[in-house]
Amino acid sequence: MIKRKVLAGIGLGMTAALALSGCSGSPEAEGAVTLQMVESLTNPARTALLEELIAEFEAENADITVELVSPPTDQADQKIQQMLQAGSGVDVLEVRDLTVGPFSTNGWLDDMTEEFDGWAGWDDLTDNAKKVATATGETYFIPYGFYGISLFYRTDFVEQAGFDGPPEDWEELLEQAEAIQDPDANTFGYAFRGGKNGYTNAVLAISAYVADDIDVTNAYKLTNGDSIFSAPEAQDALEVYFSLFEKASPPSSVAWGYPEMVEGFTNGSTGFLLQDPEVIAAVQQSEAVSEEQWNTAPMLKGPSGKAIQPLATAGWGIAEASEHKEEAAKLIQFLSEGDASIAFTEGNSLIPILNGAADAEFYKTGAWESYLAMNENPDAYITAEQPRGAAWWTEWGEKADAEVQQVLIGQLTPEELLASWDAYWTEKWASE
Amino acid sequence: MSRQQTTLKERPSTRAGAPAAPRARRRQFTTRRGFVILAFMLPAAVFVGVFTYYPMIAGSQMAFRNWNLTNLTDTSWIGLGNFEKILADPSFGTILGNTVLWVVASIVPQFVIGFAIALWLRRRFRFRGLYQALIFFPWAISGFLIGILFRWMFNGEFGVINDVLKKLGLIETGIPWLAEPSSAMFAVIVANVWYGVTFFAIMILAALQSVPDELYEAGALDGASKARMLFQITIPTISTTLALTVLLRIIWIFNFPDIIWAMTGGGPANQTHIITTWMINITQRGDYGMASALGLLVVAILLIFSAFYLMALRGKKEVTA
Repeated sequence: MIKRKVLAGIGLGMTAALALSGCSGSPEAEGAVTLQMVESLTNPARTALLEELIAEFEAENADITVELVSPPTDQADQKIQQMLQAGSGVDVLEVRDLTVGPFSTNGWLDDMTEEFDGWAGWDDLTDNAKKVATATGETYFIPYGFYGISLFYRTDFVEQAGFDGPPEDWEELLEQAEAIQDPDANTFGYAFRGGKNGYTNAVLAISAYVADDIDVTNAYKLTNGDSIFSAPEAQDALEVYFSLFEKASPPSSVAWGYPEMVEGFTNGSTGFLLQDPEVIAAVQQSEAVSEEQWNTAPMLKGPSGKAIQPLATAGWGIAEASEHKEEAAKLIQFLSEGDASIAFTEGNSLIPILNGAADAEFYKTGAWESYLAMNENPDAYITAEQPRGAAWWTEWGEKADAEVQQVLIGQLTPEELLASWDAYWTEKWASE
Repeated sequence: MSRQQTTLKERPSTRAGAPAAPRARRRQFTTRRGFVILAFMLPAAVFVGVFTYYPMIAGSQMAFRNWNLTNLTDTSWIGLGNFEKILADPSFGTILGNTVLWVVASIVPQFVIGFAIALWLRRRFRFRGLYQALIFFPWAISGFLIGILFRWMFNGEFGVINDVLKKLGLIETGIPWLAEPSSAMFAVIVANVWYGVTFFAIMILAALQSVPDELYEAGALDGASKARMLFQITIPTISTTLALTVLLRIIWIFNFPDIIWAMTGGGPANQTHIITTWMINITQRGDYGMASALGLLVVAILLIFSAFYLMALRGKKEVTA
């Protein structure tokens, strides 16, 4: 009997608790809004900085609270995809040039044109930032910065090998890297990227060799409409590029992805590394390479003295399913303006989105000088847009990576590789 | 007379001799009682239905549709289109071959070494508990973490394995383990063997505890050597456990992409992909339709294999009986 009473009591208690929790609704006060924000390219330092900026935003907007979700970088885009597909749990999200295409095609992103109509911050954005934000006529995201490539190099290795300065073009890179290479001493010329996204550097070399004829609105196309892989110069570019692997790189770099390349440079064993500016912070923390032993140089040019700079970007967008679009836009505007934007780009070693921000002292010293040099010489360092928003971009990356590795292990010739890439893109464009 | 026949003959006599009272106490089946039983079963049935069968069916139907996350505006039914894509892929043959190699080359050393460790741990000696804990420890580590550790150990320039081989004077220059298809496959299998030995050691040790000491004592009295006792007492006594453990492990290794994914990502040039790492690859590309089709294919392969394996096992038992 007692047992039954106890059980009945527990049952009633649980029912009451469930009923009350169901009736209580949101804990938010009247008019208060909680925004769910999810980032993609996460790292602890970046998340901490973002949280600081969010705290400033919350202090200015007492009725808005922001909950930041930071999934591990490798799974972040998949996580975001799942959240968007579920249609809830996300208001503001990090949109990348790689994800904007599929996300907007599926109707998951809000066209922010209305929310950003009359936004005072438009005038402060650089032309590049404005172009990206309004690329397709709609505004699916406001970029927070740009990732550009430069050549990280060991000043001491270059000097010891008898050269006056860093290489300016791909052939000079091969020459210097070959001179530096000394496997017995565990010293290698170039941190070759043969693993994940390894194809990107092969495309950089090809782009530099066809720079005179490249279509800057689609860096995979020539101005005559053919793919860049069909040009005879592409063959010359790959000859130099794959020689870098054969003559001046660690043999195991067939499998090197981002971590191994950066490790290869920061542990002092390789002389050259092509990477984004975010690596500057990693090299500065290196114990094996001191500040005087390294620097960056502008992108490598092709035979015509030009290089193509494919700017990669990401930014903040609003989920179509969000019920707080106005508040979400307010947050994005805050992050894209003034001190918050500058703090974010400097803190993450990004090329800024605000006019004049690149004139700051921060971008004029040390490793940033090369970016300044590239900015000041736009005729030689041409900014071009790669078709990264294409629905098949990930599929392409996998195919291209596998085929670069096939060349490295002798299963494919560079000619066959170029023919395959040309056929792939020609077919894709024809099916559009 | 076989053991089975004895059991069958004994059953009727037991039933006949059973007291009548329990049968009388058995309550009659009524509709009300049926509902009560159903009500008790319902939560479990709903749970399994919602969390097991619904996702399985929902996932399986993707295999017959054009389900690509890059464009969900057209998810039309395409019949066996995704299966055709898999079979037409030039990498499929290599990947299937790799999967067989991955399973066979991993399971044989895992079994042999695991068996040896289990035999060793069965003996009583000082600090046996500590040794057992140390040997079982790898099983508690995530496969991805093991993959990352081995990836750096096998690194051609900075890896500890090349360093040790150089110091021993066995090689002069570092071997690019993960850069060549054959050595990369070897490296991932070594990592998997290291990881899986523990599983066999645990399972076989548990099975060995069930072998009665009297059998060994009788064997010793008859003057049987240790090898003879192993092959004529130990192995026959635990053969069912061994067979089921091997089957279980084959299924697990077949479905175990963690180490390969972390060590090589299926490279170089797709040469270390097994079916499940390839499936991850396809999922990351957003082609859930093709990935689901591959998943169904894996289920079919494993079902057919398990059926043949169990049939062969039953056949062998009947012969020995």
